[in-house]
Amino acid sequence: MKRVFEHPPEKLTGRRYWRSLGELSDTPEFRGWLEREFPAGAAQLEGDEWSRRGFLKLMGASMALAGFGLNSCRRPEAHLVPFTKSVEWTIPGKPVYYATAMPRRTGALPLIVTTVDGRPIKLDGNPLHPASGGASDAFVQASILDLYDPARSKRYVEKGKTSDRTAFDAYLAELRPRLAADGGAGLAFLVEETHSPTRERLRAQLEKAFPKMRWCVYDPLLSEAQSFGTQISFGDNSRLIPRLERADVVLALDSDFLDCGEGDIASIRAFTSRRRVTSSKDTMNRLYVVENRFTLTGAMADHRLRVPASQIPAFTHALAGKIAAATKDGGLGSVIATLTAPPDAMHFDEQWLTEAANDLVSKAGASLVIAGPHQPVVVQLMVYAINGALKNLGSTLIVREFARNPRTNSVLQLASEMNAGRVKQLFILGGDPVYNAPRALTEDPNSKGALDWVDLQKKVPKVVRLAHYEDATSALSQWHIPAAHYLESWGDALTSEGGYLAIQPMILPLYGGISEIELLNALLGGPKVEGPELLQETFRATAPPGDLASAWSTMLRDGFAAHVPLRDKAPAFNGNSAGGVAHTLWISTPAPTPDSPEVVLVRSYTLDDGRYANNGWLQELPDPVTKLTWDNAAQISPAYARHLNVNTGDLVRVTVTETRLDRQGRPLQRELVIAAIVAPGHADNSVTIPLGHGRKHTGPVGEDTGFNGYLLRTSSNPHFIVADGKGIKSVSVTKTGGTYPLATTQEHWSIEGRGLVREATLDHYREESDFVQRIAGDEELPAKLPTLYTHPPLTAAQQWGMAVDLNVCTGCSACVVACQSENNIPIVGKLQVSHGRAMHWMRIDRYFASAKSFNQDKGQFPENAEMVHQPMMCQHCENAPCETVCPVNATVHSEDGLNVMAYNRCIGTRYCANNCPFKVRRFNFFDYNQRPIGKKKIAGAFGVYQEYLGPLTTKGAPDSTKLQKNPNVTVRMRGVMEKCTYCVQRIEEAKISAHVRAGESSNTLIPHDSFTTACAQACPTEAIVFGDIKDPESRVSKMKKQDRNYRLLEYLNVNTRTSYLARIRNPNPKMPDAGAIAVASPSEHASDESKGKHNFESHDQGALNPEEKP
Amino acid sequence: MANFFPKWSNWLPLKIAVCGLVTVLGLTAATWYYVTPKYTRIGYQPVQPVPFPHDLHVSQLGMDCRYCHSFVDVAAHSNLPNTQTCMACHSQVQKENPKLAPVRASWKTGQPVDWIQIHRTPDYVFYNHSAHVNRGISCAVCHGQINHMPVVYQAKPHSMAWCLECHRHPENFLRPNDQVFNLDWKPEDVQPAEFVARYGQPKDVSDDWSKKEKLTQREIGQTLKEKWNVQPPLTCQGCHR
Repeated sequence: MKRVFEHPPEKLTGRRYWRSLGELSDTPEFRGWLEREFPAGAAQLEGDEWSRRGFLKLMGASMALAGFGLNSCRRPEAHLVPFTKSVEWTIPGKPVYYATAMPRRTGALPLIVTTVDGRPIKLDGNPLHPASGGASDAFVQASILDLYDPARSKRYVEKGKTSDRTAFDAYLAELRPRLAADGGAGLAFLVEETHSPTRERLRAQLEKAFPKMRWCVYDPLLSEAQSFGTQISFGDNSRLIPRLERADVVLALDSDFLDCGEGDIASIRAFTSRRRVTSSKDTMNRLYVVENRFTLTGAMADHRLRVPASQIPAFTHALAGKIAAATKDGGLGSVIATLTAPPDAMHFDEQWLTEAANDLVSKAGASLVIAGPHQPVVVQLMVYAINGALKNLGSTLIVREFARNPRTNSVLQLASEMNAGRVKQLFILGGDPVYNAPRALTEDPNSKGALDWVDLQKKVPKVVRLAHYEDATSALSQWHIPAAHYLESWGDALTSEGGYLAIQPMILPLYGGISEIELLNALLGGPKVEGPELLQETFRATAPPGDLASAWSTMLRDGFAAHVPLRDKAPAFNGNSAGGVAHTLWISTPAPTPDSPEVVLVRSYTLDDGRYANNGWLQELPDPVTKLTWDNAAQISPAYARHLNVNTGDLVRVTVTETRLDRQGRPLQRELVIAAIVAPGHADNSVTIPLGHGRKHTGPVGEDTGFNGYLLRTSSNPHFIVADGKGIKSVSVTKTGGTYPLATTQEHWSIEGRGLVREATLDHYREESDFVQRIAGDEELPAKLPTLYTHPPLTAAQQWGMAVDLNVCTGCSACVVACQSENNIPIVGKLQVSHGRAMHWMRIDRYFASAKSFNQDKGQFPENAEMVHQPMMCQHCENAPCETVCPVNATVHSEDGLNVMAYNRCIGTRYCANNCPFKVRRFNFFDYNQRPIGKKKIAGAFGVYQEYLGPLTTKGAPDSTKLQKNPNVTVRMRGVMEKCTYCVQRIEEAKISAHVRAGESSNTLIPHDSFTTACAQACPTEAIVFGDIKDPESRVSKMKKQDRNYRLLEYLNVNTRTSYLARIRNPNPKMPDAGAIAVASPSEHASDESKGKHNFESHDQGALNPEEKP
Repeated sequence: MANFFPKWSNWLPLKIAVCGLVTVLGLTAATWYYVTPKYTRIGYQPVQPVPFPHDLHVSQLGMDCRYCHSFVDVAAHSNLPNTQTCMACHSQVQKENPKLAPVRASWKTGQPVDWIQIHRTPDYVFYNHSAHVNRGISCAVCHGQINHMPVVYQAKPHSMAWCLECHRHPENFLRPNDQVFNLDWKPEDVQPAEFVARYGQPKDVSDDWSKKEKLTQREIGQTLKEKWNVQPPLTCQGCHR
């Protein structure tokens, strides 16, 4: 009979941690996920008439027959093929590291690339540069897969026919004099933001050659409101740089500044540097967040207020009023003087506002108010004025000089030029405007109907398109040119703070692509470039010190040019001009209601604006907040879901009706049918739709996944849509009755047990510094529990361990993709994910926390839940439960404390996974590494699945993706178990280097903190620390000595090597919600102590052998 | 009396005999194949595109292993020489030798010479040359007396049990680092006085080894193992990752 382990109950602190609403109400589905390691039928291949058992019978018989023939018994002949000539710097099998940078719309990230035998296999942050400090994010980690994407464009296309470079050069040669003749009057460029000084230099040359040309920068997620607001307040060529390390109090208004996907890792590091507590004497910053949906920033908040995005202007106005009253600041006064609070705006908690404002004012000069870039200009202006009033300008917010060409057009200006037929020759470099340009850009001069980009592009006679994929925009272009990946081309870029970075190629273009600057150079008629010539010319202009050649090689070695100066401006806020603009642009939006909700369009945490749609790692990466893979969904609050009578997975129709008319003279209407997901912590009457999904034309991985939010987006309402009575007549959300299968991992791998995540307030921590032991009663456990299992001899001089600081973990998931990239972890496809077969070695468990329980039947919902992230991977138990059950000793303990996996020994019984209390073992149900993700339509299901087709597809991964594999990690096959190894290949590499260095000496120790695991290396906040726990000076030992340190399921006596540091929140005791935030109070604790103790003693002690000495 | 046994049971003895025979034959064939050196490929000697004589180059001309296998002491792989290395000498020496035609062709066309791999570890074994040759394990331990082979063949089994023989008892194989590439080295070559002066002797040995006439491999190995702190990995992750 199966023995069900009785976990000692958690102490009733009144607080609950839960992963989903299903867990909160204890649904049978959730019990299924909790109690079974593998879901029912996990070993069945879907949609097959054959059961696994039946298939095995038949295969067994045919194998036995095949055995008689004894064919293929000989080992194949293998060949060794050396180079013909020695390649400089290349030692076969040894990695070489180069510095480069990844261009991003908000500023590039400096990188270090690991290349093995000439192929880049792993990207990491450049530790020499403060913009990354050695850290990276999920997009950096995943972009290596884009380089090898077999679906990338490989050919020049002219009018739908394959062409080549020579023909394109001839086309340009013919074009150049024609354009020069009329000064480039019909010439226009549509580009993405890359912050490339070389591109700017070439643009200046183009403007000289073709003075009448137009240059338009469009990035769907780049905010024009923010740059306009900055320009009004601080003059041209300004950019605001937050200095979060100086801020004691931060208030974020719909700003997700802790989302590293926007590329600002330096800010995240600065913010978390103020949350790193080493003892109860330390201080912490305090974060207030006002937002409509849960963001990663909201998850870190000490106080979070749910406010619809359209009500942020009214909230900011109310806050500005409080601050103006307290500070009597003239600049702020003049900005808000003429603005009147909208009468039908939402009502905000007066005490919340007052106390938050008081807290900001009390820390004047060391506080910071940040507005989300997608909030309108007036919010930006008020926020600058507030920061001015709080004396934050120059201290926590500095103004940097950032050159911007004033001749840059917006996409709207370009659209009207195209509409008027004045654009004859358009170059679209990157992007995908057919997919992501705002809808209804302009109106038809005759019928007055609205025109989309598709209609406008058809009006341009000649379009040249440079892109990574032959997508919808390329289909409408005369020429399609394959673009080179940034790892294949020379270039340069500026960081978000203005630092100059070099981009150097790691490999020749795999598919013959060219870079943007090469194309511009070709158009200019410059000599054909093969190397860094274009970049060198820009570099020369930066006035490098000393000899040019050595300055150049220093820059390539380091990846950046330190001599390029960064100039800060005097932070003079122009209150008068800001006040005037604020008055004209003031919007008073009524509060959204259940019948007229707002729709908020946000960037996707996994696909960005859609550019990573064909990246399988990112498609399969669970969204850090919703834990949704392969799709997006409309997030709605539990209360609003109840109003709509909608559950997660139900389809809803979002309809937006404008006051403008369409070509037929009816009100312009746009609608989107999208699956809903019920998201605790979401604002009521608000719907959040992540953009970037639902792309029709990209590679086979990304096509037709999710829903295209761009369909709802117009240039006047790019970020949120609400019925304001002006542009938008009405917004409605209705249930369609259909359902859509969503693959969400939020209930997968649920763990039972007490005290998994532990947190406290800073005050509680100061009062009771050992709270972490008391939460789950760990202090009551005997110092050394008896054990039946013979301990493996942990004899090695160095013992490996890990510590994860939950206080600084933002949940961004960079570690998950870094692990995937380092350890050759395959993707499995949507259906496999929904069956719980995702292969990620590392997951981030996202818990909601609420102060009390809720009775959902009575209509109670945990609306104001808090969120905690917990990275979870193999804990490397010293008494590992998995090891004792393996019948073939495939998983054993090493002398340095690792729980190791010998794949070639594993026979796939899955006993180990069944016995793992942390559910971190992953089984290769199929040959995921060998077979491509294809398409399969499932009968009865909506749409098309991205699916692994099992043995029915052709075997063998595409050659290009094989190039990405880490040669030091086995590519696992079907039928073996795998799990986190603490990056054993890196440990062994370090050991071997230490031995090689030692030679005839006895010092074989790996130097102190000289290497780390892939997850710890990628982590932007250094939340994960790995090292030698025997060395008291190592970082991990120091972390484990802190009083916040705890180990999971201590009462099971598994002796884990990974430990966690409890989260500390720093609420303001005067705030109205202070009592409900973070963890049990000491008094509640004391009352339950006896109960917890009793339960521990009753648990299964009789089974232990008293003779066994630990 | 009724028939206790049905009719088909008449054939049973024969069926048992046939099955038994098949089993015995199968076991014999399997043993023959799997436990003989043939399975471990000892003696595997494929025909290479160029019949490179190691004996001539190493023993007669006195070339060091690292002239061609230049990264053996820094990398996991012991690289094969590229055509450039061959041509360094053979553009002057043996210029017209027909056996070297593939090398000259490779140099001319840029197409590499396609050597046939002899010593092959499975893909799931991560062997590192540099970790061994820098810590007193000679080429000869795994590859045999390559310096006397006119045509290279596999001399040792390269099975896991064989690897563990050394990982469990490295003292049977260790030699001073400066003799690693001297494939003819024998423990008898060691001068005990000189050796003890340089490396000392194990702590728990009471008699003075420098007075001995000869040192055995075991004595040399024990000294070096202790002096260098040699602890070969015995758990899976040492070789399987």
